Order: sequence, then structure tokens, then C-alpha cells
Amino acid sequence: MDWMAFRRSFSRRTFLRSSAVAAMGAALPKFSLAAGDTIKIGFLAPLTGPVAAWGAPGLDGCRIWAERVNAEGGIKLADGNYQVEFVAYDDEYDPAKARTGATKLIREDGVSFVMMLGGDTWPGAQPVAERTGMLFSTLLPSDLSPDTTTLIAPSEVHPIYVVTGVDWLAQNRPELSTAVMCAQDDSLGLPSVATYLAAFEAAGIEMQGEPLLFDPSTTDFAPIVTRLLSTNPDIVCLDTCYSDYVHPICEQLFQQGFKGQIISATADFYDQLIAKTSKEFMEGFIFQFPDFDDPALNADNINFPDANGFYDEYSKRHPGQWGAVSWEYAAIMDLWKAAAEKAGTVEPEAVLAAMQEDGKGRHAFGEAVWWGEELFGINNALVGDWPVVMIEDGKAVIKEFRSIPDWYDKHSDLLIKHMEAYGQMWSQRS
Amino acid sequence: MIELLAQTGLNAIYGASYISLVAVGLVLIFGVMGVVNFAHGELFMAGAYVVVALYAERFVPFFIAVAAGLIFVGLLGLLMERSLFRPLRDNPLGGLVASIGFLMILQSLAVMGFGVRMEHIPPVTQEVIEFSDRVRLPVARLYVILAAVVMLSLLSYFLKRTRFGWALRASAQDPQAAALQGISVNATAKIAMFIGAGFAGLAGALSAPLVSVTPHMGHSIIVTAFIVIIVGGIGSLEGAVLASVIYAVVHTFVTTFYDGVLADITGLALMLLVLIVKPTGLFGTANRA
Amino acid sequence: MRNTIIWIAVAAGLVALPEFLSYSQQEILVFLAINILLVSSYRLLTLTGEWSLAHVVIMGVGAYTSALLTKAVGLYVPLGIIVGGVAAGLIAFALSYLLFRMKGFYFLIGSFASGEIIRLLWRRFREPFGGSKGLKGIEAMPDFSIGFHRFDFFEPASYFYFTALVVALCLWVLWRIEKSPVGLTFHAVHWQDHLAQASGVNVRAYRTLAFVVASGFAGIAGALLAHYVGTINPNSFSVEVMVFVLTWAIVGGTRTFYGPIIGCIVLTILNEVVLRELGLEQTRPLIYGAILILSILFMPKGLEGIVQKFLPKQEAR
Repeated sequence: MDWMAFRRSFSRRTFLRSSAVAAMGAALPKFSLAAGDTIKIGFLAPLTGPVAAWGAPGLDGCRIWAERVNAEGGIKLADGNYQVEFVAYDDEYDPAKARTGATKLIREDGVSFVMMLGGDTWPGAQPVAERTGMLFSTLLPSDLSPDTTTLIAPSEVHPIYVVTGVDWLAQNRPELSTAVMCAQDDSLGLPSVATYLAAFEAAGIEMQGEPLLFDPSTTDFAPIVTRLLSTNPDIVCLDTCYSDYVHPICEQLFQQGFKGQIISATADFYDQLIAKTSKEFMEGFIFQFPDFDDPALNADNINFPDANGFYDEYSKRHPGQWGAVSWEYAAIMDLWKAAAEKAGTVEPEAVLAAMQEDGKGRHAFGEAVWWGEELFGINNALVGDWPVVMIEDGKAVIKEFRSIPDWYDKHSDLLIKHMEAYGQMWSQRS
Repeated sequence: MIELLAQTGLNAIYGASYISLVAVGLVLIFGVMGVVNFAHGELFMAGAYVVVALYAERFVPFFIAVAAGLIFVGLLGLLMERSLFRPLRDNPLGGLVASIGFLMILQSLAVMGFGVRMEHIPPVTQEVIEFSDRVRLPVARLYVILAAVVMLSLLSYFLKRTRFGWALRASAQDPQAAALQGISVNATAKIAMFIGAGFAGLAGALSAPLVSVTPHMGHSIIVTAFIVIIVGGIGSLEGAVLASVIYAVVHTFVTTFYDGVLADITGLALMLLVLIVKPTGLFGTANRA
Repeated sequence: MRNTIIWIAVAAGLVALPEFLSYSQQEILVFLAINILLVSSYRLLTLTGEWSLAHVVIMGVGAYTSALLTKAVGLYVPLGIIVGGVAAGLIAFALSYLLFRMKGFYFLIGSFASGEIIRLLWRRFREPFGGSKGLKGIEAMPDFSIGFHRFDFFEPASYFYFTALVVALCLWVLWRIEKSPVGLTFHAVHWQDHLAQASGVNVRAYRTLAFVVASGFAGIAGALLAHYVGTINPNSFSVEVMVFVLTWAIVGGTRTFYGPIIGCIVLTILNEVVLRELGLEQTRPLIYGAILILSILFMPKGLEGIVQKFLPKQEAR
């Protein structure tokens, strides 16, 4: 037997690309629902373990979403109304468990759609997604690739939304000219490092040294902050540090006497940040995630229904727990529901087509385009405007919505350059 | 540059303080009871959560909360001694597994009681001692340094000048001989566990306002503690303190001047070096292996 | 003759097993098979009385090696798996120079340090290890047909057969090693090392041999994992995983060959199936921890002790 020929002809990838999903019909879940069935949506994310903060709060938000939708009659398909419920599987941020979870949700629980956090776990679930043709969503566009047409990133467009904050800063505080950055060394930290570097370069802000990558298990940030401040920067950038890091780092910045500008992707529990430092210190802090009781979210262009009400309900049930992730999965569900109702069915191909009709979509923060071919190899990220949020007098306020595609049109070469340097371009993966 | 070095030095002294409290506790437990307490990092975490529950949530004065943390975790240590280590005295591997089970339980309880997200603790004080514009020592960190100095001195006095302490050292040196002399094995075990656990809890309680308090915060502390007690020598308390200082200095300076991952590698390499060149550590004597 | 029948029955049972399980349970079955190899190879090491904390990282060495080679030079996957095992053995051999100057607790901690350093090196170097993101798109086992049946190795059932075959082979080799004069010397080194030394046995050489062989099989287990899940990162081989291996071995008991295997099967089914079904995600670790403690306190002979009560009197080892 010619093993070489076998390998060439039967490599899994060619098999998948050349054969239609229909060939696997026997193993596929049924996509037709009988009347009276409930639509099940899979929630595959870390619910326990160190990264649970990116998964568990999202599930809480989804449950509120499901109650609201069911109270209003459920999801209206061509053949009737269906109630919706979520089936969760804890992948513990482990790709092997994500694979098992994906298998269970799709082939046993009969879900119609799977939402994931993504990152380390996506490659584990990817083969299952490709085999079954199931529609998957991720919070991280850096997971997208042309290999999987059924993976979409329609909500958080990590990391490219960070360009809006830097862009706003450059325009409104032009006197700031130097910056330093630190980030946790994991799959969530690196793509945004490249993006921030590109954004700073586009704004003409000088980076005073390489971004400082720290171990995710660090608890004492004094040495890092000392190093960051040693060159007297105007701006300290916290990349997409989790709140576990943002808080101690800001405390150290305060205690070591920093008086400049801080920019970060998240600032969960900023009221506590203020308590640990001071109102003056936090004044002018720039980040990217608004509180949903912000009046700017009642504007017509916003596609998140009753943002203020959602925020109130969430805060009532989970006091003090509102954070970046709390609304993002629910926003994806809004998109999915609209597409399913438009298509009249939950069949993944049809829903995806309905979602991407005209290349446009209704992102939570406004009308957006399906985008990303240059960076991700496929136009499956829903990208449009993103808010720039500033802390003013102790409260997070949306300063402006800025357009990500507009920034990209002007500065795409810079972004590609930095992504390549960090090995984050889709062609550099696998 | 001088200022950078000075500030880094201050950071290192702080690091040495809480590490030495944890490491000394671990040495005491291993030295007297011969068991590897894998749950030691979670005892640290438990101390931090006591402060969360009392000081952050119920506004008990900080130092009372810290004292409560010390006592509560010390009692946890007694619980471990009575229910896990005493029945498994002849089975050190079993004691190790039992401590693993205990750490999973503690972590789980923290998650169930407080949630997975980090805890928010109001600052104890925002005072900062300014040596210069760039060289500052927050008073809250000073508390940890002072606590370490005071508690370690007290422990040293206790071990060298009191009967209980003398009994502990005898048990650590040679448990059988000590038992023959009429020293109660159970009593020394209880004292060692209470102090050992209590110190870890104290370190956690004092550190709580300064670091991010999460159910998983114990993980990195236990690794550091193991490195330190190896470098210092298994049976030696002075060794643990000295090694804490060395480790904190190396790790802090490497983190500041290079990066954190390199600092971790350096710490581990240092430990390996000691294991190869002088396995008993800087101050260790070859007894418990 | 009776033994042969038993083995045929076991083999038939294993072939039929996937039919009775749901898809996700089949996935767990694959991981179970790999972990059985992992824990059995660990047991070989413990025969000489040494407990290492680097075993799972060495498994990772096998995984990374096979993953990188199959992608870089297009090495045929089954060969890659073998090369992974060899690489793991070689790394173990190199480490043995450092580690076998230590014994007991020191060896434990020294092995932990070595493992962590290797893991941190994977983390730090994006070229070629992929850094903290690790490697993805690892070559899968190529499908092939044998006339009546096409084996698609994506399907957990098929990969389970492949893995079970490999694991069975490895277990057989481990078993033969243990029963051989070499294996008996391992026992001697453990229990009577001064005596063994006095009889002219090179204690250190035997310890090294056990370590290298055990590591080689761990490397094979790692490569099997890599080619199934298709992605690995440094966290796949962290100390948390090592702790699980440790508990399987201790709760199952290491006096018999099958002790750790029983421990692995029982605890894995408990953690992945039973506790997940009960649906209380946050309490899973708590219950697992409690069961660990209870089993250590009340089953000091390990699970194998329970099995031994039901078996006719046999040579205990």
C-alpha cells in the first residue's frame, strides 16, 4: 500500500472540503422541530476555573434574555412559535472538554446553535463544528478562519474594537505622546497587543519599549508597574487585562504616583476601582464597555432592545456583578433570533444566510458590516461602531461611537504589520 | 536608575515578607509532621477570604479581621490535623492526596460562597511613605513587612525559649526519641499545624487588600513556597526566611528588568541548582526526606 | 486456556462498548484509554519507589514532538506517535542526570521544577511551540479502509479502537517488563535499596531505566491525545492534570498492575459523567475532593484492595 498516496488523498482537511455536509447526513442532528418543541441553544464556555468570569456571567445574561423572549411569545418560525432554552456545558477552558461538550450539545442534546467564548477552546470544538455544519459563535474574531464557514463573531470584536479608544484619545488629547503597555500572556492578551501597537502607531504615539507580558497567575503587580513607570510615560495601556489584573495594576499605579492617562479595554467594577484609588485618579480613564443604563444606549441606532431594562434586571439578580461579558452573549442571541425568524427555520445554513444578507447586520451598537477577510480570511466578524467610554465624575459615560471599518480603511497596513509580527494573522495560524 | 533600584528593592522586601510567612508555615508542618501540605496555598486564600467576609462585607476593623483570619485558618489547620493527617500518619502519600482533596473542597467553598470573580476590598489606608517622587512605600505594604518581622521573631522566641517550642523542635529532629521522652506526638502536631496554618492565613489576610483575591489565588503561592523551602532547606526555619528573601529579590528584579515568565523560570532553575549542588538546602540538615 | 477466553471476552466487550454509549461518552472513552496508558506508565515509575511530578509534562513532550514533526516534515502520524514516545524517553534520560541525585521528597519537588521549566519554555517561545496559545491544526490520524469498514478517525468510536489497540499493546509491554527480571529488580530497588546495592545492583541505573521507559509510554499517550483533539497548549499539561494522575494512582492503589487503572476509570467516570449529570457545576470539585479524602481515609488499600477481596488468592504483585 502506498501510504503517502493514502495520506494525500485522505487527509481530513481535503475530505471535509470536498465532500458536502450532506454526505454525513446519518450523523447529523435533526434540524426540523416538531410543534411544541423547545429550541435549545448550546452555551459552551468556562463556567468554573480561573477563566469562568468570561463565561458564567454571560450565561446569567442569556437566561434573562430567554425569559424576556419567552414571555413575548418565543421565537416565531415559519411553522409556529417556539420557546427557547439554554443548555450549558462547562468546558473549563480546555479544548479537549470543549470537544466533548460540542459533541454532547450537538449530537445528543439537539441544539440549534452553539455559543462559545472561543480562544484556546475553539480548536477543540472546531472539528465537531466542521463535521456537523453547526452554527457556532465566538467572542474572539481571532478564532475565525476560512476553514470554518459556520463560525461567526458577531458581538465582541476583540481585539479590533480597541482602536476606537486610542483614536479618540489621539484626537481629543493630542498632547499625550508616549505610552507603555502591559498584558497577560495568553491567547486573549496577544492579539490585542498587536492591535494596540498598530493603533498607537497610527496615532503617532511613541511606544517606550516592548509591551510587558506577565504570567496570568501573577498577583503582585508592583514590580511590573515600577518597570512601566520607569520611563515616565504619558499613557499607560492595560491591553485587555481581566479585571483581576486591572484592579491591582491601577492600585499600584496610584500608589506609585502615576498621574497620567490610563487606557484599557475593560474596567469591570470601576466603582471599586475608584474606591481603591480615588475619583481624581480615575477621572478620564478610557475603556470600551459601557454600563447598559447609559442613556446613549436608548438611541435609535442601538439594536439591543431595552438595554436599560436588561441592565436593571441583571443588577437586581446579580448585584454588583455587571461586567463586559454580561450582555454580549444575549446580543448574539438577538441577532440569531432575528435571522431565524427571517429564515423561518433554525437550520444553520439558512440562519447564517439570513444573518449575512447584503453583507450587513444589526450589531448591538448599530448597523454593521460582515467583515474581516484580510485579517481573518473570512468575512464572519460583524464590525461597525464601538463606543469609547470614559469615567467622568465617578460614572462611566459613552463619549462617542467610532467606526472600526473607517479606521481600518485608513490604517490597515499598520494593523497587518503588527499582527504578523505577533503571529496573529489567520494565515500564520495552523 | 538609582530610584528604580530602590523602588524595586522595596517591592522585593514586601514580597519576601508574605512569602516567608507562608514558607515558614509549610516548613513547620513538614518538619514536625513529615507531610507535604498541598493545601497550604488554599489556607493562604482562606485567610484572605476571612478579611473579605469581615472587613470588606461587614466593616469589621481591619486588624481585627486579620486576627480573626489567623485564628480561623489556624483552626482549619487543626481540623486538617485531626481528620486527615493524624489518621494518615503512617501513609505520607495518603496525607498528600488528602491535602489535595482538602484544597479542592476549600476552593469550591470559596467559589460557592463568594463567586468566581475577584473580590473587592476597600483599601486599609491610602497613605504612602514617599522617600522621593519615584520611590514610595504604601503603608498597607509596610504592615505586611512589619507583621512578618514581628511574627517571625515571636516564633523564633517561642521555639527557642519555651517548652512547647523545644518540644516541637525535638519532634522535628527525631520523632521517636521525642516520644520516648514523653513529648506527645499529637500535641506537637496540633501546635505545628495551628501555627503553620495560622501563618499562611495571616499572610493571606494581610495581603488581601493588596492583591486580587480569587478562589484560585493559592495556586501560585504554593509553588513559590515549595521553591523557597527547598532552597532554604527542608527542616530549617531560618533557611526558609533567608530563602524567601533571596527568592523575592531575584524574582522581583528579574520581573522588573526582564519579564515575569523569565523570573519564574529563574526561580525554578535556582531551586534545581540547589537540589543538585546541596540538596539539603542552604541551612538544611539531612533528616526528613 | 481459561485466561485466553477471558481476554477474548474482554476484547469483544471493548469492541462492543461504544455501541452502548452516547457520542459524548464515547469521547470520554477515548480520553479514558489515553489516561489509562498514562497512569499505568506512571505506576512503572513508582515501582522503584520514586514519585515524580513531571510525568504529565513529559507526556506533553511526546505530544509537542509528534505534533511538530507531523506538521513540519509530514511524518506519518503513527510514526509520529512512536517518535513522540522516543523523544519523551530521551528528555527523561537527560533529566535523570539531574533528578536522580535526589530521593523521596526532594525528587518530587525537583521533578516538579523540571516539569515547570519545560512548560514555561513552551509558554515563552512562540516559535516553534506556539507560546501560550499552543499548537492547533495538528494532523489527525489519516483515515483508512480495510475492505469492509472505513475507519474515520475523527469519530470517537474509531479512534477509540485505534487507541485501545495501542494502549493494550503498551500495557502488555509494561506488564512483561514488570514480570521480567528487570521488573523484579525495580521492586528490589524500591524496598531494599541498600540490600540491592550491596548485591551489586546499580540502583541508579535501574531507577533511570524505569523513569525513561515510563516516560516513553507517557510520550505515546501525549501524542495520541494531540492527534485526537488536534490542539495542545501548555495548560493541557499543567500541574492540575498531574494531580489527577497522582490521585488515580493513589486512590486505585499501586500494589497491583490494575490498581491505578481502576482508580483512573472510577474517578474519571465520577468526575466527567456522574457529577456532570447531576448538573451542579460549582460543586463538582467539592464532591471530588470529598471523595478523595473519604477513599484515602477509609480505603487505605485503595480500590484494588476491594477488588482483591473478591479475587481468589493470588500472588499480590
